[in-house]
Amino acid sequence: MSLANPGPIRRIDAVRRIGGGATVLAWILLTAAAPIRTTAAEAPEPSAKHWSFQPVVRPEVPATGKRTSHPVDAFVRDALRRERLDPSPEADRTTRIRRLYDVVLGLPPTPSEIEAFRRDRSPKAWENLVDRVLEDPRYGERWARHWLDVIRFAESNGFETNRERTGAWRFRDWVIQALNRDLPYDEFVRRQVAGDASGDDVATGFLVGGPWDIVKSPDPALTAQQRADELDDMVNTTGTAFLGLTLGCARCHNHKFDPVSQREYFSLTAVFAGVSQGERALPRSAAEEAAWKAAEAEVQSLESRLARYRTRPEADLPAVEARLNEDRFAPVATRRLRFTVLGTTGGEPCLDELEAWSGDRNVALASAGTKASASGTLPGYAIHQLAHINDGRTGNDRSWISNESGKGWVELEFPQEFRVDRVTWGRDREGRLGDRIATAYRIEVQGPDGAWSSVSDSARRRPRPGSGPAIPEYRFDGLAKAEAAEARATLTKLESAAKRRDALSKPPMAHAGTFSQPGKVHRQHRGDPLQPREQVVPATLEIFRPVVLEDSTPEQRRRVALAEWITRPDHPLTARVAVNRIWQQHFGVGLVDTSNDFGHNGSKPSHPELLDWLAAELVHPTVPDGGRTARPWSLKHLHRLILTSATWNQSSKPRPEARRVDAANRLLWRFEPRRLEAEAIRDGILAVAGTLDPTPGGPSFHLHDVDRENVYHYHPKERFGPAESRRMVYAFKVRMEQDGVFGAFDCPDGSLVAPRRSRSTTPLQALNLFNSRFLLDEAAHFADRLGREAGPDPKARIRLGWRLAYGREPDRAEMRDALGFVRDHGLPALCRAVLNSNEFLFIP
Amino acid sequence: MSANNLRNGLLDRRRFLGDAGLGLGAIALTHLLSRQGLLGASVGGMEPIRPSIDPGRPYAPRTPHFAPKAKNVLVIFCSGACSQLDTFDFKPELIRRHGQPMPGAGKLITFQGEQGALTRSPWEFRPRGQSGKMVSDLLPHLGALADDLCFLHGMKGKTNTHGPGENFMSTGSTLDGFPSLGAWLTYALGSEDQSLPSYVAIPDPRGKPQNSVNNWSPGFLPAAYQGTEFNATTPIRNLARPDGITADMDAATRAFLRRQNERHAQAFPGDSQLAARISSYELAARMQLTVPEVADLAGEPEHILRLYGANESGSKIQDLRAAYARNCILARRLVERGVRFVQLFNGAYQTGGEGVSNWDGHKDLLNQYSVHGPVLDKPTAGLLIDLKQRGLLEETLVVWCTEFGRMPTFQKGSQGRDHNPDGFTCWLAGAGVKAGFTYGATDEFGHKAVQEVTTVYDLHATILHLLGLDHERLTFYHNGLERRLTDVHGEVIRPILAR
Repeated sequence: MSLANPGPIRRIDAVRRIGGGATVLAWILLTAAAPIRTTAAEAPEPSAKHWSFQPVVRPEVPATGKRTSHPVDAFVRDALRRERLDPSPEADRTTRIRRLYDVVLGLPPTPSEIEAFRRDRSPKAWENLVDRVLEDPRYGERWARHWLDVIRFAESNGFETNRERTGAWRFRDWVIQALNRDLPYDEFVRRQVAGDASGDDVATGFLVGGPWDIVKSPDPALTAQQRADELDDMVNTTGTAFLGLTLGCARCHNHKFDPVSQREYFSLTAVFAGVSQGERALPRSAAEEAAWKAAEAEVQSLESRLARYRTRPEADLPAVEARLNEDRFAPVATRRLRFTVLGTTGGEPCLDELEAWSGDRNVALASAGTKASASGTLPGYAIHQLAHINDGRTGNDRSWISNESGKGWVELEFPQEFRVDRVTWGRDREGRLGDRIATAYRIEVQGPDGAWSSVSDSARRRPRPGSGPAIPEYRFDGLAKAEAAEARATLTKLESAAKRRDALSKPPMAHAGTFSQPGKVHRQHRGDPLQPREQVVPATLEIFRPVVLEDSTPEQRRRVALAEWITRPDHPLTARVAVNRIWQQHFGVGLVDTSNDFGHNGSKPSHPELLDWLAAELVHPTVPDGGRTARPWSLKHLHRLILTSATWNQSSKPRPEARRVDAANRLLWRFEPRRLEAEAIRDGILAVAGTLDPTPGGPSFHLHDVDRENVYHYHPKERFGPAESRRMVYAFKVRMEQDGVFGAFDCPDGSLVAPRRSRSTTPLQALNLFNSRFLLDEAAHFADRLGREAGPDPKARIRLGWRLAYGREPDRAEMRDALGFVRDHGLPALCRAVLNSNEFLFIP
Repeated sequence: MSANNLRNGLLDRRRFLGDAGLGLGAIALTHLLSRQGLLGASVGGMEPIRPSIDPGRPYAPRTPHFAPKAKNVLVIFCSGACSQLDTFDFKPELIRRHGQPMPGAGKLITFQGEQGALTRSPWEFRPRGQSGKMVSDLLPHLGALADDLCFLHGMKGKTNTHGPGENFMSTGSTLDGFPSLGAWLTYALGSEDQSLPSYVAIPDPRGKPQNSVNNWSPGFLPAAYQGTEFNATTPIRNLARPDGITADMDAATRAFLRRQNERHAQAFPGDSQLAARISSYELAARMQLTVPEVADLAGEPEHILRLYGANESGSKIQDLRAAYARNCILARRLVERGVRFVQLFNGAYQTGGEGVSNWDGHKDLLNQYSVHGPVLDKPTAGLLIDLKQRGLLEETLVVWCTEFGRMPTFQKGSQGRDHNPDGFTCWLAGAGVKAGFTYGATDEFGHKAVQEVTTVYDLHATILHLLGLDHERLTFYHNGLERRLTDVHGEVIRPILAR
């Protein structure tokens, strides 16, 4: 791409010139070759000539003679040859299958799986094994954990309250399933940024996966700072995860290293400005809908059979809705009317307008002289003001929100006494938002004596789907015995039917964010939300074919436009960054070892041509997958390419002459052995001990005991049972507080993006693995299993233990040592040692 | 490790552990990367100083950037935001204008809302020591040590929320996930004593502080540099030999594990990761002996227990004070043993209501601080006296801090003070800082820092400086940046440095 351009064009000008006027839904895709640049004074100095901003051009595969036909090997060997290094010989089959299971599935292979592969004489034995392993659903469980690190996913809010997000696990399952069904990577990206636009609602859990400071204050500076931090988290995570760019650096000033201006940063915040933290109800499937309707019908039929025993009249008003509700009552003369909210669908209640009618006249209007007061108003939002409650204008942008969760009141004082006969109210008459709905409420009027009396309340309402209504009260006293018995039996049936109906009626909730049309967004001087400067429009970055949107662009379209821009097949960063992450998880280090930073401050690739070849191959595959043409953006295609290379399959043994030249093995003269991550260690221990529960998906299990005070406290559990024996990716991911055994193994806590795990070695790890109740219990289970499966012969037990933990038979020295040790100290002690040993904990 | 050794099969174990990964590997690595230009860039023209760390010996002592004034740091952290106006920041004008509105505060909205009137402290201030420093009657024992303390009255924070405030003071960022001061120091300097953790966090007897373990988090630094958490009542998790395992069996298992690991390592000569894991079990075994010994206060003589108030009991305050006092004695014992960084907490997460378990005195300052003051005062003063009488203050920097200050007004309709990040007090004592010295000031009411204003970044820069580290050059590459404890801020507060 060229830096030359005909003349500086301000972005707003560009919108005006090209897009023109105020076309509400217009958004403009600028495909001109030259990026729009800002004025010279504003332009960032760093150059767009950096390697990673250049288009991906598929390089020629180097000619390596007859030595290899595999493109990956050709590039790797070409680089080795330049340093006069040879690759290592192929590793033995046991090592390869263990490595394959460790890397791809995060679990050890069983002895029979190893044996089957060792005996497989087919020339395609390895390819077939790779295919089978890539179709294993445990692949998604393994690789999702990496993606969840990259995008700072966790299931608690962080900060001091650190409350749980009960609907966050759905996103974790979404990632696992997306990887397992090999959702093309471009679609994988698009869904996470704007899945709500394509009916994949859970996927936007990505946007709001970060920390959330829920401590609210009337202090507007604090509120503004909290919101700015939330948006920064979204921009920064999007930038690092998909583009390998540290956009957060441009929050306070133009990026020091990369061509990203502060204004571009705020244009990206404008893309996300309508995204808020929180849960969203998911649409129910047709089957779920039908089941719920059937249950509802049963409830109604049972209720009608009991109707005559009811102690109070039936609900006469429909269920509360988000848009508009009407409460009619006998006309009453009053000067004051109060609407009190006693419960909501979640959060602080919102009312966009409160109307009190005297005949056909709305006497609540401020313009008619009515004064409004309230229990309190959510601070910091211009669009949520008390004055909006009776300004005659509706919609979220002209609404009032209480400052208290689940409650609050608004009072209207009329200029004179009116005979009021109905009240109309709603949360968002424009129908865009459906949260914060008042579900329990009371409407009261003040009589001439000053006393308040209720004229309507939510008891008159039929239950909202999902709100779990109470069963009406019935009285059976004074009935004949038989009739009373039958009525009671019917009531019992009703109770269980209602319970079933309630369970079915609850829409599944996902922590996937809520969306609303944002107001204007401004650049913030020095990143200070209290120092707004010029307005910015939503836009993508300028390094590559920028998309500039209008200020009026609907919220969802902003994210769709960004997602489409990120996933353009010719985007120079997206495929390179994706390919590099996959490479990193195979070899321990990426071709670019700063996998979240492809900018000027990041490292250069160790094999630039290989990186580009793989990036091109991801987007436009040419190498067939087992006879078929591979699909574009298929990650499994990439895995298959890497896994079938000699580079991946080579021995991990060190060679002094190679180490002298390249100790860090960046040129890949061997496969680099490395310690497994925390999750793979825990899973592997359970698998070997025979206690792993393979159940996939669903709500998380807890590694902590949780005190749910105002502020949540998490105490690591000491003892674990079957409930905690699923794979660790299914453990409830708490911010800050780590698991008592495996947290010390460099588990990121989801507070920040974690592109690559450090692999430190500490005495606390040793203490946890050697002394924890968890390890000792599993060592005991392991020993039991050996006794059960190998019979009484100590040698047979030891042999099976070695096969399970190491995938091989013990050699003579080991057998002698182990036999003596078991004789003196027992099998569980041996299992304790084996589960702590390097050979068990390292990818071979 | 030489290539000859590598080829010699099974190595002498001590040598294998001692020098694995040193020399050859590290040098060759740097060479190849720099030749190919694969290393990340420098920070703004200044070469970063990243300590060279052997993965096999992450705690090996490392040299500072220049000659240090202090070897160890002891941070005493009052969680909940301890009021400067009821402790160390004496404001006669606040007494004179007691009950009047604070000028300009009519529309001021702080964390919990509107302001009531200016309110003087319920505790009298008196001149203390030779310096005549005014300290309130809430903390008479600490007041008596005023001549040893170096006050920073012009501290200014960045947030008025506890979680981000604790993060800021402990890690230099209001957000979660950044490395703590102690992690940075351990990363930079390693440890003097290889049989104890180099960084210990001592939570309050009532529980962890409000932002919990993030106060001693390794953040994006390797987990080796996280604070190890224990106090006088709760030992390090998984430290003790498990129930049902005899000492014999334990030692034999450890020995078998070592033999098994060494057999495996024969095929991977020179792999420092493998060597590191072997040595980590040896360090763990040493910790199993040394930590219980250092945490065992049974040998402390009566007069020492009395000095800290550790042997009192009966009332709620005395029980709590004794528990905190035992943590103070533990802190001294750790400093004595050369632990690099000790972080001692006074105050825990919110439990039992606002301000009950920590210094968050919004509603009932008089009654709540009447507990917190005495609990903090005598044991902390005892700790300082004890450090001094053992000569430890000469090489130890003591830092007393809190996440932010409190308002000179009481909250509207309430008997306590709201959060105030614009002015608060910290103090330092010991190695490298002036004694009996006051730097910085808030305005006439104690609301905002106005004179010789110091930030949390400045405080951190100063602490690093006293340990011989240049805060602008101590970096760790993470996610596109050479990260610093002080971000892009901070200046060493030179006027408080001792000559």
